Amino acid sequence: MITDVTIPEPQAPLPGAGVNSSQGLLQWISSVDHKQIGILYLLMSLFYLLVGGALALLMRVQLMAPENQFLGPEAYNQLFTMHGTTMIFFVLTPAILGFSVYLTPLMIGANEMAFPRLNAFSFWIAFFGGLLLYFSFLAGGAPNAGWFNYAPLNQMQYSSQPGIDYYCIGLLLAGIGTVGTGANLIVTIISLRSHGFKYRYLPIFVWMVFINGFLILAAFPSLNAALVMLLIDRQLDGHFFNTASGGSALLWQHLFWLFGHPEVYIVVLPPFGIISEVIQVYSRKPIFGYPFVVGSGFAIALLAFGVWVHHMFATGMGNTMNSFFAASSMLIGIPTGVKIFNWLGTMWGGSIRFTTAMLFATSFLVEFTIGGLSGISFAIVPIDWQLTDTYYVVAHLHYVFLGGSLFGLLSGLFYWFPKMTGRMLNEKLGRWFFWLFVIGFNLTFFMQHILGVIGMPRRVYTFPNLPGFGLLNLISSLGAFLMGVSMLVFLYLLYEALRRGKRASDNPWDGYTFEWLTTSPPQLKNFDTLPPVFSFRPLHDLNHPEIGDHKKSTDDKYGT
Amino acid sequence: MESKLMMKLVVGSEAIFFLALMMGFVYFAYFPGFDPKSLALLDLTKTGAFTVLLLASSFTFWRAEISHRNGQIGSLKGWLAATVGLGVIFLFGQGMEYNHLLVNQLVVSKGTFATGFFTLTGFHGLHVFIGLIMLAVVLYLTFLGDFDRPQSSVISAVGIYWHFVDIVWVIVFTLVYILPHVVNMK
Amino acid sequence: MLLSLLIPSIFSSASSEASEITTLTLYFIIASVGILLTVIGLLIYVSVKFRGKPGDPEPRQFTGNKVVEGVMITIPTLLVGGFFYLTLSTMQTVLPPADGLKPEVVIRGHQFWWEAQYAGKNAVVANEIHLPVGRRILMHIEAADVIHDWWVPELGAKMDAIPGRTNHLWVTIRKPGVYEGACSEFCGAQHAWMRIRVVAQPEAEYQQWVRERQQNAVTPTTASAVAGAAFFNRETCGTCHRIRGTVANGNVGPDLTHFASRQTMLSGMMPNTRENLRRWLQDPQAVKPGAKMPRFIYSKDSINVLVDYLTTLK
Ligand code: HEA
Ligand code: HEA
Ligand code: HEC
Ligand code: CUA
Ligand SMILES: [Cu+2]
Repeated sequence: MITDVTIPEPQAPLPGAGVNSSQGLLQWISSVDHKQIGILYLLMSLFYLLVGGALALLMRVQLMAPENQFLGPEAYNQLFTMHGTTMIFFVLTPAILGFSVYLTPLMIGANEMAFPRLNAFSFWIAFFGGLLLYFSFLAGGAPNAGWFNYAPLNQMQYSSQPGIDYYCIGLLLAGIGTVGTGANLIVTIISLRSHGFKYRYLPIFVWMVFINGFLILAAFPSLNAALVMLLIDRQLDGHFFNTASGGSALLWQHLFWLFGHPEVYIVVLPPFGIISEVIQVYSRKPIFGYPFVVGSGFAIALLAFGVWVHHMFATGMGNTMNSFFAASSMLIGIPTGVKIFNWLGTMWGGSIRFTTAMLFATSFLVEFTIGGLSGISFAIVPIDWQLTDTYYVVAHLHYVFLGGSLFGLLSGLFYWFPKMTGRMLNEKLGRWFFWLFVIGFNLTFFMQHILGVIGMPRRVYTFPNLPGFGLLNLISSLGAFLMGVSMLVFLYLLYEALRRGKRASDNPWDGYTFEWLTTSPPQLKNFDTLPPVFSFRPLHDLNHPEIGDHKKSTDDKYGT
Repeated sequence: MESKLMMKLVVGSEAIFFLALMMGFVYFAYFPGFDPKSLALLDLTKTGAFTVLLLASSFTFWRAEISHRNGQIGSLKGWLAATVGLGVIFLFGQGMEYNHLLVNQLVVSKGTFATGFFTLTGFHGLHVFIGLIMLAVVLYLTFLGDFDRPQSSVISAVGIYWHFVDIVWVIVFTLVYILPHVVNMK
Repeated sequence: MLLSLLIPSIFSSASSEASEITTLTLYFIIASVGILLTVIGLLIYVSVKFRGKPGDPEPRQFTGNKVVEGVMITIPTLLVGGFFYLTLSTMQTVLPPADGLKPEVVIRGHQFWWEAQYAGKNAVVANEIHLPVGRRILMHIEAADVIHDWWVPELGAKMDAIPGRTNHLWVTIRKPGVYEGACSEFCGAQHAWMRIRVVAQPEAEYQQWVRERQQNAVTPTTASAVAGAAFFNRETCGTCHRIRGTVANGNVGPDLTHFASRQTMLSGMMPNTRENLRRWLQDPQAVKPGAKMPRFIYSKDSINVLVDYLTTLK
């Protein structure tokens, strides 16, 4: 029997909870509402996606033909550094935080984050970090040593422009903000779940956010430490990474990748969660193997801290060290594979609706597998000895970042857009966007696997006219322009939906989790009352009581 | 309850930050260029004494927490003030040490040892300073009567942080003042 | 992929080490195509078979199957185990420890050129590096300033050149020929033009070549070359470049003792012609922006005699 439970009011009134809609922009700036902050994160991410994408298009123009003169070396080096840094720290990271902050309280039946003001602070500090990073263009030159900024090239004597100082400060601010939000999310999930919401009823997305919180807390400090040390080197003439005076080049690499590898899982775990939700709902079936999907998330998170040296296989650390990290890196393929096959299992026997969101989720399965397999090829150390620091790496990282994280995020955007804005997106245009983007994406980056194999190193501003180089780079650039066109369709799509999109009902997709219970868009106070929770699909139980999971035994609920 | 949980997470994250800095220091301790001459400038006994004072502040804070739990506001104020006092003395001691080193021309740019030394102890000092601000706020709030009820978790949250800062110092002290004597005796 | 079989690539291996890696890569490709096709095949099947139509009832709500989970864990685990074993054995054959052996050649990366010092011989060359065929040789890889990376795809593994460290690489070249490679770790403005040419020669030819490299630079004979040599020594050139047999003894820029015997100049950026040399000497920063050679303002005549001199340095 289902009876509603009431959400207890927070003990103290939420700070700033009185929305005064006449304040307009000021209201957004001063807001501590998790939904508004979530949307701010997403807007920030979209903005930087356009900027970072525009930088990439400039790079692709330069690389269109051998010995092209469009950009000089210095400009190109700043562009690829800013492109990579922007995409990782100011596109993917804010995007996953945006979804996490927006959805987590809704999904666990809470009305706010545990620390609403900290939430706002974390967003704004990251926002200013981004502005500072871009200010470097005006201050005498952007950072130019690549997103991982290896020592000793990052030292004053090799890069005397202030770019790298801005890189340090910008990323430090963003890093502090990210840690704040990560901790906030953990506390929220532990202490604000609605009455009776057991851990084993958490939606997969919330599980991934929860695990991700710990990943963030453990990974970012090591980046922050490295950045602080680098600032001391550059500003106070310290010697941590200055090889000319006793410092160590490898210390930087260890500290950076101790952060950098977990970071790539930080930006892919929440998309894993998104994919899990999307595939369930559009297949009209519960996730296949819930405990395995959650458990593999834990396994990935644990392994993520034991693999960083796989970025350093070619530094000559010796075969003992290499084989340990080869093993741990290959092992990550197993839990990831478990996820992929469980998603396929979720679709199996379902009644699948191929909306745009589902199209992105489906193609995620293919593109991410390609990216994951090229990752495994690096874990096989001798293959990495051939292919590290070539365009093959560039192909790998775009397959996992775009084909993985970004496809997941786009899928989530198409799925939750009606909830966030109260408007439906145009499905027909959505399909256009999807196909242009996917075709452009594969044209651009599949070619890069081959470029790596035939000997093109990464981060070169130009290349000699060797056989194959010109043609493959040309194809790759054309693909990039196709992606650019698809992004214009995407922008138009969002614009049109906001201006004159169809009104969305509260639960247009027959969703399973609590965010679909409240209005679209949700009011400032998310819920007044909630149905009790007896499974990880509480809303499905409510809407389909005859086949609801609450009637099942634990074994049937989880397929164990 | 939530603030205690939050503080635990923050402290966990900070611990990794210090771990990373320490890894850097240890890394250099085993390589040439790690100057033993600078080591001789460090004042082991004086800093040792200040270390004891900092540890004592953990004790006084612990007493403060007990007073709070028992509702003895008067002794809560006393113990808190003592903690702040000890913290300030410690920072003062660190200032003296820095001054002594600067006078002897040991600055950040004087080799890997100096860079590591100032970074580690400097960041620890910064954390003590932040802790002192928090303690001062708590003390002020006590005088305003905020902690008359024993339920509040703010004091134990600050306590987690303060004990953490102390533990970090014990490790930093061991690493910076003692370890180099052991590994780099050339 | 096919394309990469027809043109130089990691698959056209010319050394034993490279072919070990090629074999392993082929195993990997077979396995991963298998995995990928499984995923794609399942996906297509599922998408076609289970596509829903409006008005369909809720499908059966099953939540998992222990046997299926077991299979999806076991098979990848076996694959991982197999490849881990292959990784270990290939690693050991391709790059065993150097055991303190003496290297044939010490390669040192500079911004943005390569220096090769033939160990125990008085021979130092830049960018175009000759190696013997048919014998397993040990190379040391070092760096003078920032991190660089030695990579010649057809000869196998790459290796980082890290300041403050000495790394090593083994290579057994099997076919004579010219192999192109490139610096593969980003090292600053001109990382793109830090290319490598390895000339693999039969032992006798190689020994002959090394002997020639040990000789001092030829003394100029024509009047203008003599003037060029005088100019070279008078100006600052010698603080950065070495021309053995003269006072010029720098090591910031490439050794120029046998400069004219190189096919290319500026680390593979362009053919070594008089015209290119003249352009370079007139304004290095216009030819290779960011290169560590400053621009000097010299008259046309001085540059002409310099070119005349440098082109005699066979
Ligand atoms: C979202 C980001 C993301 C993700 C998820 C991954 C996933 C993986 N990555 Fe990747 N990686 C990056 C982002 C990511 N990577 C980036 C950005 C870089 C470059 C950084 C730079 O240099 O700029 C990089 C570089 C990188 C390197 C260093 C390359 C080099 O520079 O030399 C290595 C080396 O081992 C590696 C390995 C792996 C592995 C083993 C996985 C695994 O997690 C993949 C697991 C997935 C699968 C394997 C597919 C699905 C599984 C199955 C279908 C089951 C069957 C499979 C098997 C039996 C194997 N990655
Ligand atoms: C989220 C991560 C992400 C994303 C989405 C992308 C997207 C793209 N990337 Fe990038 N990339 C990285 C992460 C990412 N990249 C990283 C981490 C590196 C490594 C950096 C390093 O080595 O340090 C890298 C490096 C990298 C390189 C290698 C550079 C080198 O080694 O020399 C290349 C080259 O082709 C490239 C290309 C592209 C292209 C064509 C896109 C396309 O998808 C872009 C498509 C275009 C758009 C999305 C924008 C559309 C914009 C408009 C239509 C104009 C409107 C503009 C305004 C209003 C301002 N990327
Ligand atoms: C401050 C150091 C410096 C000085 C002084 C200098 N050079 Fe150079 N030179 C370099 C460097 C570094 C390179 C390598 C550039 C590259 O390939 O990136 C170079 C390259 C060259 C090359 C091409 C070598 C090759 O194998 O490709 C020639 C020829 C040359 N210099 C001639 C001269 C002459 C003549 C002078 C004096 C008029 C001179 N250099 C002065 C640093 C210097
Ligand atoms: Cu040297 Cu790149
Ligand atoms: Cu990694």
